[in-house]
Order: sequence, then C-alpha cells, then structure tokens
Amino acid sequence: MDRRHFIKQSTLLSIGGLLIPSTFLSACRKETVFEDINYDGKVIIIGAGVAGLYAAYILKSKGINFQILEASANHGGRLGKLTGFANFPIDTGAQWLHGKNSILGDLITKSNTKITLDNSETKYWFNNQLVNSLAQNTDIFEGDNLPDVSYKDYALQKGLGNEYKYIIENIAGDQGAAASRLSVFGNNEDEENWNSGDDDFKFQETFFDLIDKQIANQVKDNILLNTIVSKIDYSQSKIQITDSNNNLYNADKVIITVAIPILKSADIQFIPALPSEKITAFSKIGMDAGMKVFLKFSNKFYDQNIIGGSICAAYADDSIGKAQNDNILLAFIMGEQAEYLTSLGSDTAITNALIQELDTMYNGQATASFIASHVQNWTTNPFVKGAYSYSTIGMVDARKIATQPINKKLYFAGEAMNTNGHHQTVHGAAETGYREVINILNDIKK
Amino acid sequence: MKVVLFGMLFFTFISTKAQEFRTDVSYKYMFSNKWDKAIQSYNFSRPFIEKKQPMLIHGLNASVSYIFKSAKSLKHGINLSYSYFNSSAENENLNNILNLHFLNLGYIIHYQNNDKANGFYTDLIISAVSSGLYRNVNGEPFEYDEKRTKAFGIGGDLCIRAGYYLNLKNKIHLSPFVLVGYTPFIYSPNSEAVINQTKGLVNNYWTGIFTTQVGLTFHIIQPKND
Repeated sequence: MDRRHFIKQSTLLSIGGLLIPSTFLSACRKETVFEDINYDGKVIIIGAGVAGLYAAYILKSKGINFQILEASANHGGRLGKLTGFANFPIDTGAQWLHGKNSILGDLITKSNTKITLDNSETKYWFNNQLVNSLAQNTDIFEGDNLPDVSYKDYALQKGLGNEYKYIIENIAGDQGAAASRLSVFGNNEDEENWNSGDDDFKFQETFFDLIDKQIANQVKDNILLNTIVSKIDYSQSKIQITDSNNNLYNADKVIITVAIPILKSADIQFIPALPSEKITAFSKIGMDAGMKVFLKFSNKFYDQNIIGGSICAAYADDSIGKAQNDNILLAFIMGEQAEYLTSLGSDTAITNALIQELDTMYNGQATASFIASHVQNWTTNPFVKGAYSYSTIGMVDARKIATQPINKKLYFAGEAMNTNGHHQTVHGAAETGYREVINILNDIKK
Repeated sequence: MKVVLFGMLFFTFISTKAQEFRTDVSYKYMFSNKWDKAIQSYNFSRPFIEKKQPMLIHGLNASVSYIFKSAKSLKHGINLSYSYFNSSAENENLNNILNLHFLNLGYIIHYQNNDKANGFYTDLIISAVSSGLYRNVNGEPFEYDEKRTKAFGIGGDLCIRAGYYLNLKNKIHLSPFVLVGYTPFIYSPNSEAVINQTKGLVNNYWTGIFTTQVGLTFHIIQPKND
C-alpha cells in the first residue's frame, strides 16, 4: 500500500469510524423521557383544576388510561369566566400570568394567545387621601436573614405604623394571605425559588379560555363532573374510590389535586389513614379566604390601581388588557378583609361596603355611577374554601412533606403542592400535574 | 492597518518562537445525559408541540494551538478552542432554538516519533471549559423581565487526539484527526429552567460530557533547530 493510498483509507476509516457510531448513537437517544413506557393500569385524577387537567393531558399524550373525578359542575378549578356582565370576558378566578418563563408561557406563544403586560399605574389610599407615592419604603420583605414572623409584625418592627396597615395588607393579599399570618421568612424563601419572571400579564380573553381550549378540550371526555369523592381506600393492590353517591371507582394510581382546605378538613376519608406527618404538613400550609368583586360603573372615575382601602386593600381596573373597555373595577379581597366581607352574609351587603369605601375615596362618585356587581366568593365554594396557598410561620418544609407520594399509589398535585416557589399560580399548578405523572411513570419503571 | 500589523507581528512571533502553530475545524459529537434529560422533559411536558426538540448532539469546533519549540518527541503547548451546538424545533408560532457554546483553554502534550510512526502524532489535551446556554424563540433571544435567559457551566476537559501529517508545502501541513474527550461538568442551577422552564426535575447539577471529533488541522511547523 503506498502512502497516498494509506492516507486516503485511514482518513475514510477515521471519518466513518466516528460518523457511523455517532449516527447510531444519535438515533438511540430518545425524544422524550418515558418514550417506551407501556402502562395498562388506570390513573384516576381527583379534581379538574389546572393540575388535574394538565396531568390528564400528559397521560393522554402517553396513551395511559385515565379518568378525572370533579366535585363541581365545571372544570377549571379556581379558573372561571364570566360573560355578559361586561363587553369583555371576565376572569372570575386566576387572571394574571405571573411571568412567561413557564410551560404555560410556551403554550401561550404556541397558541398565539393574546396577552398584555400589566404595567398599570398605582395610587395609594393613605391617611384618608389618594397619593401617588408613600413616604416610607414598604419593600422590606425580601432579603437575607429575614425572621420567621408575620408581615404585620415585621412591618411594625421596621417602623411601618398603623397608617400602613392596609398597604401591608395588600402586599400580603397578593400572596393570598392576611398580613398577620403570612411568614416573612417563608415567603422570602418562595421568592428566591421563583424563576418564571416578575412581569404580570393579562389575557385579552381569559386565563380560563387558554386552559379550556388548549388543555381541557383534549381531555373533556374523561371528566366526570358533580362527582364528590368521599373515600379513598388504598389498602389493597387496587385503589377503591367512593363518591358521595356511593359509586365506586377502581384505579391503580390516584393523583389528588384538591385544594388544600379539602385535605385539611378531612372531607376525604383515607383508608388507611394518611401518615400523621403528612396531615401535620397539610395543616401548616396556609390558605385564607379570598373573593373577587366586579363593580360596573357608567363612568370611569377611578384610578387604574387603588391600594390601601380598609374594606378592600386592592382595587384594579379590570378593562386593562381587554379589547373592549366597559368600566369594570375589580375589588381583589384576601385574608381578614375577605373574612369580614363574607361575614356580612350577602352579595348586596358586600357590594354596599365596597361602594361606600369608593365613595369616601372619590367623593360619592361610586354611588352616582354604579350599575351592577358580581361577587365571586371562593371562600364559600365548598370545593375550594379559599383563595390560594401561602407560607405560614413555622412552616419549614411542610410543602415538601405534603407532596410526597404514598405507597406508589397516591400522588399529590395542585398549586399548594408546588415546591419550586410557584405555588399560588396557574403555571405552578400545571407543573405539579406534570411532575406527578413523572413520579407515577418513574414508579412504574422501577 | 492595525489588524495587518498585528497579523504580521503574530506570524513573526510564531515563526521565531513556536515549533508549531495549528488551527483546526471539526465536527463534534456530544453526549450529556443531563442535557438530554432536560430536553426530553421539555418534549414530554409539552404535548402541544408537534415537532420535538432535538437533543444537543451535533456541533462544530474550531481551535488554535501553539506548540513550544523543543528537540524532544514530547512537546507541550497551549490550546484555545470554541464549540457550538444547536437544537432547533420549528413549530407553528413556537420556533424554539437552544444555542450552546463552549470555550476551552487548555494545555497540550504533543507526541510525535518520526522514527517509529512517520507522520502520526498524538496529543493529550487538558482544558478548563466554560459554557453558555441560550434560548431563542421565534428568531429572538428569549427574554423575560427584559433579561435574556442564559445559563452557564464550568468543567475540566480531558481529550486524546490522534492525527496524521500531510505535507502540503515547506512548513505547511494538513492533518486529518480524531479526538475523544470526557468532561466532568457543573451546570449553573438555572440550566434546567432555560431548557424546560422547570426546577428540580432534573436533579444533580454535575454531569459527564462525552465528546468525539473528526476534523482537519492546518499546521505551520518550524524545522527542528537541533
């Protein structure tokens, strides 16, 4: 063999020796996790909120048999849509996309769903007048070495006196909590884990529409509505679920996505009983009262955001980001304020209290231009019983314990079960649905 | 003018100080279990995408090396290398691209024994590696909160390379080569978030990266002064 021939052959051999295995190895590398999974068991999902719907959506994509049992008459959980009240659709539940760096952010891009950055202006009701800014800095709840005390106590420690009470109530209310119950330390830890982005976006249609059209539509046929689960017996190899009408359902795996108050109040009986550390963990996850009241006016006399009311700490112009502009003011009420308004006993009384407060702020203009109201009280919804979860004082790692699957049979999802700082959010709920399908498939694989 | 002047000075420096100056281009194959898993999770979690995101497998590499003068068969030198990997999935309204860049700065031990293996050479390359992972969506850098998403990583690279010199002209050679490498690597914790927008599903932030390369090197070799 001459030199030229040798070089040619060795070069070809080198290239071939590398490229052929590379091509082969590339082909061996799978497109998705669990690409070859073949599971003929049945998964029952309890709850057709976003976590349950997303889990079902993933299961369907893997060809796994599933059924969703939903207690209420609708799917969507704490998402809802009100039409006819205004000339644009209204979100009666979750309405802001908190950051677009998430799976739902991708879904919005893919489905060409119209969202708008909410950069509306804020005014504060402070010392009985509307002001553009506050004298003292209220941005005190993030940083290092924060104590495990309530927002209320920490604000007082930092010199924010009683005049800042409802400003602080609004900050805690953003987290779905009363300022007296939300942990400064716990919430700061949550914020440090947060990675979906800080910008808030509003939907031209509604958040409900996104989930309904893109996710629920794919799995609707497998949802059994008005099915209130009362008992889960996981003592045998097959899990037996009983509903309030004594209908029985059998499953190999169950994903429980119900709101945390349902687990706390033992509305579902578990056989055998859940481990005590899990029950303790549930009890440590906070969830306060929450409601949204939509007030319709003939005249837009109000500012885009009004923070600091003693009846409602956060009002927001609901037409922002919408294609039409009826004058709808949202009263976003959480924690102790929601408890108080719920105690008034009727939607009329709630509306009157809010109108009275707005009259004080805007010299009687609320009464003069009031047309109608719609009260969405999530606290009195028997299948939700509150707004969304938050971190309580002394909570430590309760969320992680609450999330742990039991006996490779029971799996826990839902916004309260998000351990990556994305609890309280729709995208956080979707993440847990997807995570629990991964947990199930990992257990099957083992 | 400055560039020409710099080039002339650089070439003069190489001619007088270096035994050998190289520049090469190559195809690079990469296997990293963690990146695979993050992309596989991305595909798994998004049944709404029709075209799945490919793994980061095929890349291009370019490097320059400088071998110090020595009369011995075993020489040493320095190497600067850049690699680029790309994964693109073009879906309607969601054209998702991952760009992964590596920069290596390393030390070469170069062995060539013309008495025993005429024209063949072997290199052992030990490098420090840094990487940058970026996401583009629909032709634009993916940004949230007005910041571009990016994740970094660092590691150490150990490669063995074998090639064969082809003499093109006095001092100028060409060599086809193959290279295999292993890189223990540590991701920044947000790597999973850049790929899949999640946290904690792909555990452990360290991994091993296996690479193979095939390419061509252009050499400027000074005659030995012994």
